Amino acid sequence: MSVSRRLDALLEAGIGFVAGVPCSYLKKLFAGCAELPAGFFLPAVREDHAVAACAGAWLGGRRALAAMQNSGLGYCLEVLTSLHLMYRIPLPMVVSDRGAPTDYEEHRILGQSTRGLLDLFGIPWREAQPGGHEAESRWLIEASEHERTPAVLLVGKEADV
Amino acid sequence: MTRAEAIALALSLLGEGDIVVAADGAISREAYRALDRARTFYMLGSMGQVASIALGLAMTRPERIVALDGDGNLLMGFGGLAMVGGVKPANLYHLVLDNGCYATTGGQPALSRMVDLAAAATGAGYKWARRSSSGEHARGAMESWLAAKGPALLDLAVDAEEPDPAPRVPMTPKEMATRARAALAVR
Repeated sequence: MSVSRRLDALLEAGIGFVAGVPCSYLKKLFAGCAELPAGFFLPAVREDHAVAACAGAWLGGRRALAAMQNSGLGYCLEVLTSLHLMYRIPLPMVVSDRGAPTDYEEHRILGQSTRGLLDLFGIPWREAQPGGHEAESRWLIEASEHERTPAVLLVGKEADV
Repeated sequence: MTRAEAIALALSLLGEGDIVVAADGAISREAYRALDRARTFYMLGSMGQVASIALGLAMTRPERIVALDGDGNLLMGFGGLAMVGGVKPANLYHLVLDNGCYATTGGQPALSRMVDLAAAATGAGYKWARRSSSGEHARGAMESWLAAKGPALLDLAVDAEEPDPAPRVPMTPKEMATRARAALAVR
C-alpha cells in the first residue's frame, strides 16, 4: 500500500513502470511513485521525455504509465503522434485536468482545449470519478492495449486520493 | 570516416543480446543496411528522444542498451542527457555520430560545433564520456567506450557527407515495434 490509492489501483491493474512530471493535482500519486523500488519510476525533466521513456519501457516488456499536468500534453504531441500513435505503442496516461474558468490564467488555454486536443488525435479519454480508481485503472489499461494507443485518464483537483 | 562506416563498426562490436535504439533518419536507415537485428528499434520520428527511449529500456532490462544518436538529435532533446546522467543506468551506452550539421535536411550547421557534448554528459552525471575523431581511431575509441562503466557516451566525429545514402527501412512502424518487443521477450 502506498500513500496513493490511485497508484495502488494502477499497480494492481498491472502498471510496472511510471515516468512523469509532477502536477500539484497529482501530489499523492507522485508521492507514491517516489517510494517505488528502483527501476519503476523515472522523474522526467519534461513530458515528451517521459512518454518516450515509457515507449522504451514498453519495448522492454513493462506496462508503462505516463503522469503529467495537462499543460505537458503540448510538449508530448510530437512524440505521441510519431512514436506511440504511429508505431502503435500502448500508453496509459494520468493527466491532471486543470484550466477551469476559475483556475489561474496560465492553465486555461491548453487546459480548456485538452478534450478537443485528445479528440483531434483520436486518443480515448475518461474523467476520473470519486471512488472509481479500480475500474478506471482497468479501463486505462484495456483502452490503451486493445487498440495499442495512448489513453488518458483526466484527474481533477479532488480526484487525486 | 562516414557515419555509415562508423555505425557498421559499432554494430560489429556488439553482442547478440545487446539492445540498440537507432535514431530517426539516416542513422536508422544506415543501421538497418549494415546489420538488421530484431533487437534493434528503428526510430522514424520523435527526434530528440533517443536517450529517453534508451533510458526506458535501460531501467527495465538487464542487457546492454546502445543508443545510436546524432548530434542535432541529442541537442534537440538535451533534457534526455540529464535524465540518463541523473538515473545513471550502468547498462546504457550512448554513441553520438557527430557530423556537426543537420545532414538530412541539407547540411545546415548544428550548435554541436560550439557545445562540448562529452563535457555536458559528464556534467550531467555520465560515468564516462569522451570525444574522439573517427577513421583509424574509431575502433579503439569504441572499445574503450564499451569497456567503460556506464552510462558512457562517445562523441564520435564523422564526415558531414554521406556518399551512399541508405534506403528506408522496409517495415511498417507497427512491425518494427512489435518485432523489437517480441525479440526482447525471448531472453
